[in-house]
Amino acid sequence: MFGHVRVYSGGGGGGGGGDAAVCCTPEWTPSWRIASLQPTIEQSVAIMYGRLPGAGNANNGGAGANQAHDRIKIGFCTDLDKSVLVNNFEKRGWHQVNGDDDWHFYWAGVQTCRNIFSVDSGYRMHDNQMINHFPNHYELSRKDLLVKNIKRYRKDLERDGNPLAEKTESNNSSGTRYVYLDFVPTTFVLPADYNMFVEEYRKFPLSTWIMKPCGKSQGAGIFLINKLSKLKKWSREAKGPFHPQIAKESYVISRYIDNPLLIGGKKFDLRLYVLVASFRPLKAYLFKQGFCRFCTVKYDTSVTELDNMYVHLTNVSVQKHGGEYNTLHGGKWSVQNLALYLEGTRGKEVTDRLFGAISWLIVHSLRAVAPVMASDRHCFECYGYDIIIDNALKPWLVEVNASPSLTSTTVNDRILKYKLIDNILSVVLPPDGVPDVRWNKVPSADALGNFELLIDEELAAQDEAQNSSNNSHAKSSKLNSRWK
Amino acid sequence: MEELQDASIHHMTAKVIAAIKNTKCYEPIYEELQRLVASPSVDKNDMRNTLEDAIKAAGLETEIRNMIYNLVRSRLEKLDVSDTRQTSTSKATQSDPLGYLKRAGVLWDRRVRKSLNAMCGELKVPLHGQPRISADREDFVAKWNELSNYNMDLSNYRPVYAPKDLLEVLLSLKGPARTTESTDQIPQWEFSHIALPVKNLFELRTHYADLLRSDHYTVPDQCQRILDSRHAPMCQQYLKKGCTPAPYRGALWASVLDSKLHDYDIEYWQKLRNVVWTTDHIVDKLVFKDIQLTASNDDQYFVFEDVLYQVLLCFSRDTDIANCVDYEQFPVKGKTYEGPPSGVVPFHGICMFAAPFCYLYDSPVCLYYTFRAFYIRYCHRLTTINTHPQGIVSLCLLFEKLLQTYEPQLWSHFRELQIQPLRVVFKWLMRGFSGHLPPDQLLVLWDLILGFDSLEILPLFAIIILSFRKESIMQVASLDSIEAILADLSSIKVLPLVQLALSRD
Repeated sequence: MFGHVRVYSGGGGGGGGGDAAVCCTPEWTPSWRIASLQPTIEQSVAIMYGRLPGAGNANNGGAGANQAHDRIKIGFCTDLDKSVLVNNFEKRGWHQVNGDDDWHFYWAGVQTCRNIFSVDSGYRMHDNQMINHFPNHYELSRKDLLVKNIKRYRKDLERDGNPLAEKTESNNSSGTRYVYLDFVPTTFVLPADYNMFVEEYRKFPLSTWIMKPCGKSQGAGIFLINKLSKLKKWSREAKGPFHPQIAKESYVISRYIDNPLLIGGKKFDLRLYVLVASFRPLKAYLFKQGFCRFCTVKYDTSVTELDNMYVHLTNVSVQKHGGEYNTLHGGKWSVQNLALYLEGTRGKEVTDRLFGAISWLIVHSLRAVAPVMASDRHCFECYGYDIIIDNALKPWLVEVNASPSLTSTTVNDRILKYKLIDNILSVVLPPDGVPDVRWNKVPSADALGNFELLIDEELAAQDEAQNSSNNSHAKSSKLNSRWK
Repeated sequence: MEELQDASIHHMTAKVIAAIKNTKCYEPIYEELQRLVASPSVDKNDMRNTLEDAIKAAGLETEIRNMIYNLVRSRLEKLDVSDTRQTSTSKATQSDPLGYLKRAGVLWDRRVRKSLNAMCGELKVPLHGQPRISADREDFVAKWNELSNYNMDLSNYRPVYAPKDLLEVLLSLKGPARTTESTDQIPQWEFSHIALPVKNLFELRTHYADLLRSDHYTVPDQCQRILDSRHAPMCQQYLKKGCTPAPYRGALWASVLDSKLHDYDIEYWQKLRNVVWTTDHIVDKLVFKDIQLTASNDDQYFVFEDVLYQVLLCFSRDTDIANCVDYEQFPVKGKTYEGPPSGVVPFHGICMFAAPFCYLYDSPVCLYYTFRAFYIRYCHRLTTINTHPQGIVSLCLLFEKLLQTYEPQLWSHFRELQIQPLRVVFKWLMRGFSGHLPPDQLLVLWDLILGFDSLEILPLFAIIILSFRKESIMQVASLDSIEAILADLSSIKVLPLVQLALSRD
């Protein structure tokens, strides 16, 4: 059934097209072009130290560029004192400043970001500033909002008669499901959707559900439920006087993926890094070096193990406290090895289909939130996608983290995260390394590093225009499933 | 002349037939043949032709061909060797120029077994193992699929030996020349004086010539068609390309190594498993210890920990291995020591021979037989001292000679630093690079071992890596720094580097 996905994605056959899009010459402003073609010593020095346009030419890049070589160092600011960040910034010759000073690049926590963008702060960013979050990233990263946005996206497509929203009879219930957009487990928000949940629960009385607090991360407050009575008990207690905080908080309850793919008998999930440079038009990149996070304990669905979170949760922060956590590999296994194993034991076709489906899932989750995202040109964001693969090799989106951990658990982890940050910087910054909102955000193939283009709606539209003028097939989007 | 040829063919046929009768597959094939003879398609008036046709139609012909191919490759070669050996042992052993090497081989094997015996004595456990007490047996059986959760105290167990122990023995090998010649003529830190014939680069180029042939006519389903044909030699030829598609590798390797599963193999596996379940053996502890020290900590292989326990435990009980591996034989006086049932004493890192197979097979049984065949054909030569042209001694020698001849600068750099170059690469050689190269590249290297049926690719590849990182090595002056330069092989790509090394002038 996934075979059809390709028709819309232009995945397999469209690979070449994707490459072309990356390489095709973007609309450089004349100054960019000159700078890149005729580097003088002065300009080289400017590139080395970073370049800032003079005060008077903010609106006119073309005229200003020639005077823009004041040797101003780029100031960075970070809320996280992580070496993978600071080392990367310093490698580029940037110097650290405070948030109150004139900064050019801010690696901020979500709270700082919220303050900067709030109307009350009165802070207005200038053209040469960049920050690592979108103001309302929670549309994607909050579990309840993500589901809400995806549901709305599917409804909208359905209303427009889009073939993507095709539905089919579900094989195990009276309901229907989406053929191409069924990539999140059935989810309800509690307490709001309690009645809908009960209705769904009654259809599958033997199923297990997982409860997660909407706002928390790293596995905090998560528990499993396989009886309605347990949920009722929980809700009674939550209303009681001892847990006032739970009562305020909303939860999501999702169908638990109880048939996960096991490798070596152990459950795992995928952590993939997705960089969004812009939401409108959507420009997103997938980091090729994701990893699988393994549970330390054998997978076991028996009721006695239902409360053993080491069996069910793959979060490193949870697993770290298990007795069997190994500090040399940290339970992390590369996606490349996963692909090698699956190709060797299951075949190439199913493996390609799985990774194609993963790219598909990411693109459509981003499209689902794109209309509501405040697509500020100062922003980019790196998301940690958590995906579970079931034993039919179908990927399920579990959640999206807007501040994926930059703590390194092992040596390889450190190398990976250092490279991740380095590659993020080279993708989101213009070729001369100075933040500039006027840049068209089309990185060169070299700048991509270990990122691969998932989708660039702008380039896709250009391609489409070109293709239709050439009277050839138009492609709606670009998806790439080359993982190695 | 023709008569002679005829006679030799008859002699060969007789040997092959005798060998076939000793294999496990003889009986099923014989039964199948009986069934065919009785089938209506065979006409008793034209028995010869109709039976031949029936054999071909049933696909039995390919099976018999493969069987003969593998027999001629492995066992008959061994028979010939032992024939000549019997005649030669009657002569004075002193006259054998490699006698000291064979002697060293026997002594090494004895030393390893002696350590195992000593360990048994120290820990007061019988070498032959003891029945598991019922509670332990139940626990063991219940946890068979998750042996990482099987608890036991391993604090008193140490690996019997590690690569550096074998290296020290190799470096101390003294030829008969030592006693007569003055000692300063032979440098203390090399062993090129050993009189084993090894290939030079020219001969290696000839041997690996197929690797440089660029055939652009690769048909997408070529691999599948070769597998469908079931001809082992064709599968082997395909592996020579060095670009085996991952989905086909498992089947190709099984075909080349003649390790496709038969019913009797599955029964035998279950038998081995039952022996593991019922008896507690000291090698179990050593196997657990080894996996915990290596694979469990390896970010490429840790997910397969539990599969590896099963495979290596059954391996330790498999008496067929002792029968298939040809150990060096030389009359040496002194006590002999018994080993584990398989004859293989686990050493530090033995599980890394099995680990790469986890990327090929989902089922432990398939994994087991292909790994076992690979071990019998190749790996055991890397941990025993022997005179075989692909034994570890020859491989070390090949490494040294290649380094001397083709990287003289590096050679003299090592010499100035008084570092034996072998020290730097020995662990690669002894483990066949497993655990050092990332799995996708390691499997390519092992494709080439199987395709060209030779371990000589290991020293060649070691030279290639040294050569590739030569500039950095030339800049440092200590063993630690050199090892640091060579520690991370994650960026090494096997095929292009080997091709480059073989093609350049």
